[in-house]
Amino acid sequence: MLYAMKNVKKRYEGRTVLDLEALSLGKGKILVLQGPNGAGKTTLLEIMAFLSSPTSGEMWFDGRKVDFTGNSLMGLRQKVVLVQQHAILFTTTVSRNVELPLRIRKTPKRARKQIVEDLLNLVGMEALGDARAHRLSGGETQRVAIAQALACYPEVILLDEPTANVDVENQMAIERTIRDINRTKGISVIFTTHDMIQASRIAEETVFLFEGKKARSTYENIFSAHMELDEDPWKYSVLQNGLRLRVQSEKLGRVRICIDPRAVRLSRSGSSEDNTFQGRLVQLADEENRVRAHVDVGMLLSVLVPKDVFSGMDLGVGDPVWITCPAESIEVLG
Amino acid sequence: MDFFIDSFLSAASLIWSMDPEFLVVVYVSLKVSSTSTLIASIVGVPTGFLIAFTEFRGRRLLITILNTLLSLPTVVVGLFVYAFISRRGVFGVYDLLYTQKAMVIGQVILIVPIVTTFTIAAISRIDERYRKTALTLGANLLQTAWLILREARFGIAAAIIAAFGRVIAEVGISMMLGGNAKGFTRTMTTAMALEYDKGLFVLSVALGIVLLTVSFAVNLFFNYFQGKARV
Repeated sequence: MLYAMKNVKKRYEGRTVLDLEALSLGKGKILVLQGPNGAGKTTLLEIMAFLSSPTSGEMWFDGRKVDFTGNSLMGLRQKVVLVQQHAILFTTTVSRNVELPLRIRKTPKRARKQIVEDLLNLVGMEALGDARAHRLSGGETQRVAIAQALACYPEVILLDEPTANVDVENQMAIERTIRDINRTKGISVIFTTHDMIQASRIAEETVFLFEGKKARSTYENIFSAHMELDEDPWKYSVLQNGLRLRVQSEKLGRVRICIDPRAVRLSRSGSSEDNTFQGRLVQLADEENRVRAHVDVGMLLSVLVPKDVFSGMDLGVGDPVWITCPAESIEVLG
Repeated sequence: MDFFIDSFLSAASLIWSMDPEFLVVVYVSLKVSSTSTLIASIVGVPTGFLIAFTEFRGRRLLITILNTLLSLPTVVVGLFVYAFISRRGVFGVYDLLYTQKAMVIGQVILIVPIVTTFTIAAISRIDERYRKTALTLGANLLQTAWLILREARFGIAAAIIAAFGRVIAEVGISMMLGGNAKGFTRTMTTAMALEYDKGLFVLSVALGIVLLTVSFAVNLFFNYFQGKARV
């Protein structure tokens, strides 16, 4: 196992932001940490990069227990490198930024030049070697940051939202680089993303996080709602846009609910069934054996439909549709 | 109006004539001010860095005290140092009073708070991601500190320039601890005060103009290198 964790918790100002009972991540793979904002992804990456220590709990890296209080972290950081979300480069040229880890490791000058050239080639930034790093676009900065991280010759590379706020061209280049470094250099890659399609495209394994905890799957369609009384045990969950969903729950007042996209039914015609709403199909995406449909019902709802079922519906973007959210598709998160 | 024209003409004449006595005054001013700025930077920059980068009890109080010391009057520093280095003072045996060393001691006390507080401000503005990037790239604590200082270099340079500006323009410490001895401890500011006392206002203002010109030249020099480094 590359990483193993037991009862790892991280608290900030009395608030628990990470609470993992057990987590194991394999070696040599491309792994994805998925979850909404505030799920604890960045906190977990920083702990895995040995930049932050857990408040409690134990962690093993490559079979060895990590001592967060000792001086061993410096040695461990030589094996793991983190590319932060919105990576920041030092105020110098692109080449010198990539060269920095080599200078830290006292690599001879002649070898440094060649390595920097190779790495800039790998991320497709060879033409901008002499450019000032702070003049690069977000996507270019991210690519240089990846090259800089690779100059550390790491065993593991951690990437925090590597394609957030990046245009499609840079996104493709980053994804290609992630695959390349994993396949050709055997580097384990762990990255976080909101993009489920990207996760399914690249990752061999996905870990879902929600509110600091490991979740059974990714929580999608998360909305703030207000629970109101109906005939016991039923309650109405009123969403911010006024949509009323009938759910079974003990809770009252302000809550967060999530609607499982796989359990939502999509159809061409309506029914009198509870939680059925009319909307418009606004986006379609191919996702392995399923189709992801985004339906506007006053808010955007993501729905996953098996491909064979979807093809029989003869639907296109812009068509009016009906969705039904069965009670079992709605989870009240508290 | 004639007064200012005469002053400008006298200033131009002073520079043009390269009068040895005048050159010594400028030399002493630059030497003492540069030495005290250098020493204050060696003390103030690492101190500012440590205060900005570490959490400890009383940190906020220390910053408040340092901020208060920014308005330290030169006469108070002069009196304070005088008490220590005068014949009857604790360090009286070293015979420091009315020497350039005494002036440097006083000036260092005056500007260490400037360098320190400005360094704290410069380091505090540096994005936290730089520290994390340096550490994750394998840098040790010293290398990380160096990389952060490098990012804050323009702010730190501003701190040093401000400190230099403060000491080259001060008169209280130079007068009280230097004694305005001709050829030894006479600086541009003490010379100006002397000329004023003698009623030679034109020469006094002319020296002021020279002081500003020298100050401007030093700032141009710093700005040139800042500009080259920034690109």
